[in-house]
Amino acid sequence: MKSINPSWKLIGILVPIVILAFFYNITLNLVIFGASLVVLAFSRIKWSTALKVMIPVAVLAVGMYMTGAKFHAGANIGVGAGNALLSNAAFENGLQLGSRVLAFAGFGLLFIMTTDMMELVRSMEQQLRFPAKFVYGLLAAFQILPNMQQEYRKTKAAFWARGVYPVPVSPKLLVPLMVKAVRWSEALAAAMESKGFDEKAGRTIYHPIVMRPADYAFPFLTTGLLVLGLLFL
Amino acid sequence: MKTKTKKYAWQLKDIIMIGILGVLFALIYLGSFYLSMGLQAALTPFGLAPFNFEIVYGVWFMAATVAAFIMQKPGVALVTEVLAAFLELLMGNFPLVITTGLVQGVGLELGFAVFRYKRYDLLSMCVSATFACILSFIWTYFTNGYAALETGMLAAMFAVRLGTSLLFAGLLSNLLGKGLARTGVLKGYPAGAKYARQDIMDDEEEAA
Repeated sequence: MKSINPSWKLIGILVPIVILAFFYNITLNLVIFGASLVVLAFSRIKWSTALKVMIPVAVLAVGMYMTGAKFHAGANIGVGAGNALLSNAAFENGLQLGSRVLAFAGFGLLFIMTTDMMELVRSMEQQLRFPAKFVYGLLAAFQILPNMQQEYRKTKAAFWARGVYPVPVSPKLLVPLMVKAVRWSEALAAAMESKGFDEKAGRTIYHPIVMRPADYAFPFLTTGLLVLGLLFL
Repeated sequence: MKTKTKKYAWQLKDIIMIGILGVLFALIYLGSFYLSMGLQAALTPFGLAPFNFEIVYGVWFMAATVAAFIMQKPGVALVTEVLAAFLELLMGNFPLVITTGLVQGVGLELGFAVFRYKRYDLLSMCVSATFACILSFIWTYFTNGYAALETGMLAAMFAVRLGTSLLFAGLLSNLLGKGLARTGVLKGYPAGAKYARQDIMDDEEEAA
């Protein structure tokens, strides 16, 4: 999995996800989740990271199960809600919703655990032909993340020092951060352009990302497997 | 120093700016999301867990409406939302965010398109938030398998999402955009020109 071209891997994951969204099949959902874990087992990933990602997923899956079981189509809220929980239909309905979360998570894990995000960005430029402006603008913005976190803490501390305690989404807190966003974007763009960044000039590639036949085949493989699953499960 | 650029051309600083706005609101979203995880744990036994992410859903749309307000040209809302989705992916979110971002971006863009890209105020931002809410709800209807749910529950979830969309992406984004324009940093953008002459006194009256 790790060696597949990131852009084509993304396509090969997104297409089945979109198809899957329109079908209801508990067995298939669970099979997808299981298969994803099996593939991951052979991909030499960091399981501690995967477990961390799985915690909110598990919480969400249980939450969706309860919702599906309690409020399934045709149930009456309130009257008999307690009994509805025990019925077969409710159980199945809950499983339906809960297993969907797991299936999507399986696809998601398969992608994020085996993909280097910088490789993905490089491959978006090289294979998907995203304009250089957008690719490097995106990277520049992404690298601001830690600065933004620090700025958030600083701005909050500044208000606290004055005895003002704004709520997390207060305009008081956000406007100074947005001022920073505008300033940083101007500074970064100026820095890049002054050092020769030019959209129209030809570019050489430092890390060429090659395409092999297996990369082209991947989206067809995943989509094909999903269609087989839909037909036979 | 300004060279003649096409009205719709994207400059590098615009792209970086919407990217950074995307980062900022992604942080806000994540912050509120983790806060609401506790709430989710409490709601789970009652089967009300989805409300956990419904109540912060509107934060998703904020970067796009704010960016559209600042730059006031076609395509901004859509591009911002998709770029923000890619940023989320880089931060370690699941690939599903890309499709979600696309669907929401189309909704947000529609809101400004119905006014022929002439209005960038509270009304158009609210309309944009409403469209994004409707389209994104249709999308989650399929991805989350909401067809299996009872109609009353669906209506309640939609109402909550619409409410937060209007509150965050409509009202709050409008306040933020205006607040930002008044600081004077938006001189190079249409929004800056519109609010530049605002008296500083106005600002202080509002703050009081």
